[in-house]
Amino acid sequence: MLAVQDLHVSYGSVVALRGVSIDVAPGEIVAVIGPNGAGKSTLMRSIAGLVRPSRGEIRFQDSAIAGQPAERLVAQGLSLVPEGRRIFGSLTVGENIQLGATPRGDRRAAAADMERMLTLFPILKERFHQKAGKLSGGEQQMLAIARALMAAPKLLMLDEPSLGLAPLIVRKVYEVIAELRKSGVTVLVVEQAVHVALTASDRTYVMNAGAIVMAGRSAELRGTPGFEDAYFGAGPR
Amino acid sequence: MILVQNAIDAISLGAIYALAALGVGLIFSIMRLINFAHGELIMGGGFTLYVLTGEPYIVMAVAAILIVTVLALAMERVAFRPLRGANPATLLIASFALSYLLQHSVLLIFGSRAMGFDFLGGLNQSIEIGSLRVPGLEIAVVVVTALLLLGLTLFFKRSAIGIQMRAAAEDFDMARLVGVRADRVIAVAFALSGMLAGFVSLYVVAQGGSVSYKMGVNMVLVAFVASVIGGVGSLPGAALGGFLLGIVSVALQAFLPEEWRPYRDAFVFLLFIAFLLWRPQGILARRADRERV
Repeated sequence: MLAVQDLHVSYGSVVALRGVSIDVAPGEIVAVIGPNGAGKSTLMRSIAGLVRPSRGEIRFQDSAIAGQPAERLVAQGLSLVPEGRRIFGSLTVGENIQLGATPRGDRRAAAADMERMLTLFPILKERFHQKAGKLSGGEQQMLAIARALMAAPKLLMLDEPSLGLAPLIVRKVYEVIAELRKSGVTVLVVEQAVHVALTASDRTYVMNAGAIVMAGRSAELRGTPGFEDAYFGAGPR
Repeated sequence: MILVQNAIDAISLGAIYALAALGVGLIFSIMRLINFAHGELIMGGGFTLYVLTGEPYIVMAVAAILIVTVLALAMERVAFRPLRGANPATLLIASFALSYLLQHSVLLIFGSRAMGFDFLGGLNQSIEIGSLRVPGLEIAVVVVTALLLLGLTLFFKRSAIGIQMRAAAEDFDMARLVGVRADRVIAVAFALSGMLAGFVSLYVVAQGGSVSYKMGVNMVLVAFVASVIGGVGSLPGAALGGFLLGIVSVALQAFLPEEWRPYRDAFVFLLFIAFLLWRPQGILARRADRERV
């Protein structure tokens, strides 16, 4: 579904990614974990088309997508829920969800999906006409996910969906993610909350200082020797 | 009675300022560009009217609005699209350069003298309503502005592209992530901005009766000040700022001692500075909705 090969990204003279390779198979939930500044968000942003990589390849459904603009990728089925959710606070909840369907041509299918979202997230139905900025953090996260799902993505990427949320809400978010997988959506999730990520995902990549330092099945990774070093260490020189 | 008369003057001048401020504010809200060449869009409308002198007024007006809209789209395509994503200072300088280029092109072709001609001359006559004498132009301005504001409001609230533009104004990258096409919202913003400049040019010419290569300069400055007063990046703010600036200008004109009136604009800007010290973010500053967790 998604294959990233030897990806390099720099912001000016600052190197953010130095040769990252990951792959995600259809139907998988894959997690990328790592400390602050490891380059996880940069990886997500380059896959989504917001950051242009300086080197390397990104293939999505067997076509090269590196350097393509974000608005074209979302039409191809690749959606990102960015860090901090980034809901449109001055727009209503309904407008936010509707915006998610922007790349879709089929209005009727989009309308049906809107109904589906409101059933999946009843709180959004309740708040439909309110300004999205008035929602609580957890509700905003639900809204951000619903908005992304309106594009009918094949691959959903979430950047730190648990950030700033109460444990109960985090659990709810990951229940939703598990539900999505059942309906055929592939999920790539970035997390700092190690335990949550390892529990919810099939496979996990550990990132540090702009590189993948460890990878494996999530259930086995925790006991692997060197796991904590990989996570907390300074990464490769 | 004089108070009512002044109030009508104020609302009408404020309406024009609001249209100018919206034209500038629209572009800024979407791409963080302060387009000083907006004044040259107004100039373009003025010269379209001049060239078409003698045609029926409606032909002149429609042509001016269309030409300015196309000019605005061309401006985006040629000057600003290559600079997409550049920092705001670069964009600002580019808009200055464009503004001078257009002014001096017109200077080369038409010369520096203001050229008088008739456009909607009849509207400068006053209409008597009871004991009030209201210039017809002021009534036309208020009616047209009300219709434009209503149309814009509906456009931004109801149409898909309008909602996309509000989203892009709030968070451009996120708008792209949900599939909003950057080229399209920016082009529509320039088209609307051009249309508004076209309407403003009709007023400037009808009111002043002449065109010159500098005719847009003053208006763009006013528009900029108005949008800062209203809260940069907020469209309702830009409209509100325009109305306030119009009201303050007319009030100063009416109530300043006679010998100070020639310096009215100095007082307007003095008040503007005082306002900025008190509320630098403007009246309807965009709240950082996103900060909430």
